[in-house]
Amino acid sequence: MDKKKFIKSLFEKGKKAGFVEMEVYMTSIMKQDMNYYDNDVESFENSLSEGVSFRGLYNKKMGHSYSEKIDESSIDMLVNEAMGNAKVLDNDDIDTIFAGSKEYKDILTYNKLSEKITVKEKIEFLKDMEKTGYELDRRVKAITYNMINDKTNSIMIANTKGLNLKYKSNFYKYAINVDVEENEDIKSAYRYELSNDFTKLDGHKLVNNVINEAVSMLGATSIQSGKYPVILNSYVSAGILDAFAAIFSANKVQKNMSPLEGKLGEQIADTKVTIVDDPFMKDGAFTKPFDAEGVATKYKKIVNKGILNTYLHNMKTANKDNTQSTGNAYKASFNLPIDIAPTNMYIEIGKKSYDELIKSTNRGLLIIDVQGLHSGLNPISGDFSVSAYGYEIIDGRINRPVNQITISANYIELLKDIEDIGNDLKFIAPHNGYVGSPSIKVKSLSVAGE
Amino acid sequence: MLSKVVVEDVLTAAMSTGGDFAEIFAEDKDDTDMILIGGKLEKSISGKIYGIGIRIFKGFNYVYAYTNDSSKNNLVRVAKEAASAIKGVKKDIVLDFNRGIVNNIHPIRIMPESVSKRQKVDLMKTAYESAKNYDPLISQVKVQYLDNTQNVLIANTEGKLVEDQRTRTRLLIQSVASKDGMIQSGLHFPGALKGYEYYDDIDVKAYAEDSARMAKTMLMAEYCPSGRMPVIINNGFGGVIFHEACAHGLEARCIAKKASVFSDKLGQKIASELVTAIDDGTIPNEWGSSNIDDEGNATRKNVLIENGVLKNYMIDKFNGRRMNKEATGSGRRESYRYAPTSRMTNTYIAEGKSTLDEIIAETEYGLFAKYLGGGSVNPATSEFNFAVREGYIIKNGKIDRPVRGATLIGKGAEVLEKIDMVGNNLDFGQGICGSTSGGVPVNVGQPTIRVSEMTVGGRDSDR
Repeated sequence: MDKKKFIKSLFEKGKKAGFVEMEVYMTSIMKQDMNYYDNDVESFENSLSEGVSFRGLYNKKMGHSYSEKIDESSIDMLVNEAMGNAKVLDNDDIDTIFAGSKEYKDILTYNKLSEKITVKEKIEFLKDMEKTGYELDRRVKAITYNMINDKTNSIMIANTKGLNLKYKSNFYKYAINVDVEENEDIKSAYRYELSNDFTKLDGHKLVNNVINEAVSMLGATSIQSGKYPVILNSYVSAGILDAFAAIFSANKVQKNMSPLEGKLGEQIADTKVTIVDDPFMKDGAFTKPFDAEGVATKYKKIVNKGILNTYLHNMKTANKDNTQSTGNAYKASFNLPIDIAPTNMYIEIGKKSYDELIKSTNRGLLIIDVQGLHSGLNPISGDFSVSAYGYEIIDGRINRPVNQITISANYIELLKDIEDIGNDLKFIAPHNGYVGSPSIKVKSLSVAGE
Repeated sequence: MLSKVVVEDVLTAAMSTGGDFAEIFAEDKDDTDMILIGGKLEKSISGKIYGIGIRIFKGFNYVYAYTNDSSKNNLVRVAKEAASAIKGVKKDIVLDFNRGIVNNIHPIRIMPESVSKRQKVDLMKTAYESAKNYDPLISQVKVQYLDNTQNVLIANTEGKLVEDQRTRTRLLIQSVASKDGMIQSGLHFPGALKGYEYYDDIDVKAYAEDSARMAKTMLMAEYCPSGRMPVIINNGFGGVIFHEACAHGLEARCIAKKASVFSDKLGQKIASELVTAIDDGTIPNEWGSSNIDDEGNATRKNVLIENGVLKNYMIDKFNGRRMNKEATGSGRRESYRYAPTSRMTNTYIAEGKSTLDEIIAETEYGLFAKYLGGGSVNPATSEFNFAVREGYIIKNGKIDRPVRGATLIGKGAEVLEKIDMVGNNLDFGQGICGSTSGGVPVNVGQPTIRVSEMTVGGRDSDR
């Protein structure tokens, strides 16, 4: 069904049912994923999916509903469900439908060149990587994932206040998982490259790095429990920041579910730490001109030289705090309610290179991967305890691989305990926000091992 | 959902380039999600998930495509486009559907859609009040109510044409306790393959109060000491240890590529003799159950390990090809957006003989993990990790004190050998397991078990 007609009909029926203001949020996601295994394309997935989310003010309450069946038959369901949902809400929040920001930044979110990349090119790329991987090191036992994900996302918002916005973005992820084996010791490593430009994916470098990493972990053992100076490499630091992103959400703060409650304007991190949210970042997976409520996005320093500058707001939380939305309204999917998330958020780089950070460490640990970030942390208290591996550093040099350990801390305490920041900013796969960090050195972390 | 004629045309189009198997998975699912925070209903959202996935095999390769547009023209177009990725010679196919009657062993008494939203909100408020009033230290309570009814139609070129309906409901109750800037939380999340009758079967108030008790206990707890020690893992959700540490490595997805430590080990002893482990998708109305899996096969009770010996893997159709084995009713997916793969249903360690009291009394020093959080595993090495939601230190056979912030890490293959006591109190816990075919509802389960030695990650030293 024609989308314009669908929206018109939906708004008409909604108005008749008693909705005062209404909005639709539509997404269209095109995906093409392929995995290459054992000299052949093992899986090839191709899809286009569309979803519509409807919300409207009914007796001053915002009712929500959604459907993936975008045709006349869904309109009554959308209106009735949204009304039913509005009727049971009893919060005091003031919800609004937004008429639009004064201006929206004209930014590039979509790489048109991506349309020229053929399936054949991608297959050749993966074939080359598999071959390269097996040739690089005889200890490579299996390349279990060798995969390109290609995703194009289109978002459209239209409402009865006259707002009509859309943008399109695209992203590639090339991921590889390698198992290596020596003397019955098996180690595996998984890494990926991200870009909205296929030609910028440096597969050879990635394959090389991932195999080196897996091989370097062969023979790893645990280490004595205790407190150690620890370098978290950029991926690990970004992963932990990503997992704790919700602590900056005004929604969590207002619900007494953030350790940063009441800390606005206070020193919450070492003065070396500046955390930026930049929706205009070039090549950012979350680069966008407007947020899920249609509010223009903006650049901001969440933490500036250690001081908490702002929480991340949508219109509802901003209204409650008597401030402006920061343009961080977010819908993880069309079928989820509006929440808050960063856009492209990262810790600003410091001066030392990765190698210099290692050199400046007398005795300590370099952590290159952690597992269990989805379960081993508490975003309400800031406590975390996760499984980790990496290397022992002695006299400024990598001494030996270490695994079967956990690292534990409170993230807020960790931010205050940062001794040095590297200049190697890296981003992890986009999730609810596109989050990055350079490697960071922390004075002391609890490490559990032997 | 789709007529036989449409199914035939789509499957024929899917086979038009020489594929050797094709399948349609059509889904129509109604979802309800409500969140109550601080006693007020903050969010209520509901709607429809609707789409069709088409899968084509040729040898050890597959193509998958999906769409939301179920018109015949579109489906045939999508099937042809998917088929274009298969290079082969068209074979004539004859489709002779054997419309399977699905034997419903999971009856639903009260469809959630027949219950008003208001009534669901009242249930959430009951949970809220019970948790909030438990103790003045409880500073916040969040209650989430979820229900969904998923209708599926699965048809394939082997003549299968089946339909099934799955209704699930779930309640999550999170209590937050705080004092002097310290915050801890407690959580319960019971769920079942049931309708609204579930809330007559369980004691919502008791779950709510216990989540508050857990938050308060952890607020008063010290940090957990680190090191290697015996660990007692309680029954119910404690079964997540077997789920992570072992059972993921028994999924055909890893086994087919020999990417699991348990590859090529059928018939071998891989665990302590005390361990018998089962994956059973047929347990009536349990959270991880269903009449048929997402490939249209009846679910089964699969004995994975019997008295320590590896008996079987969990196998889906595609990976079964590489392994040259039949599927075991284990093909699952979150939705039509995912090609199915081998997944767990209700996975548990069978009961042993010890009582909980005996297990504690026979432990001189160790950690009692009363409730575990989630975790993850690397199947290639079987290295796992998970969080302890509520823990206690045991000294001289008695519970000494509560501890917070603990993590358990280790290798599944080693832990299985080190299980030295198995209790007689089997219970289940509910989870959403995330993997390559999305998040699927699974039960984890076990009686209380003791592992003679594990690495406990904490923050302080003890002893």
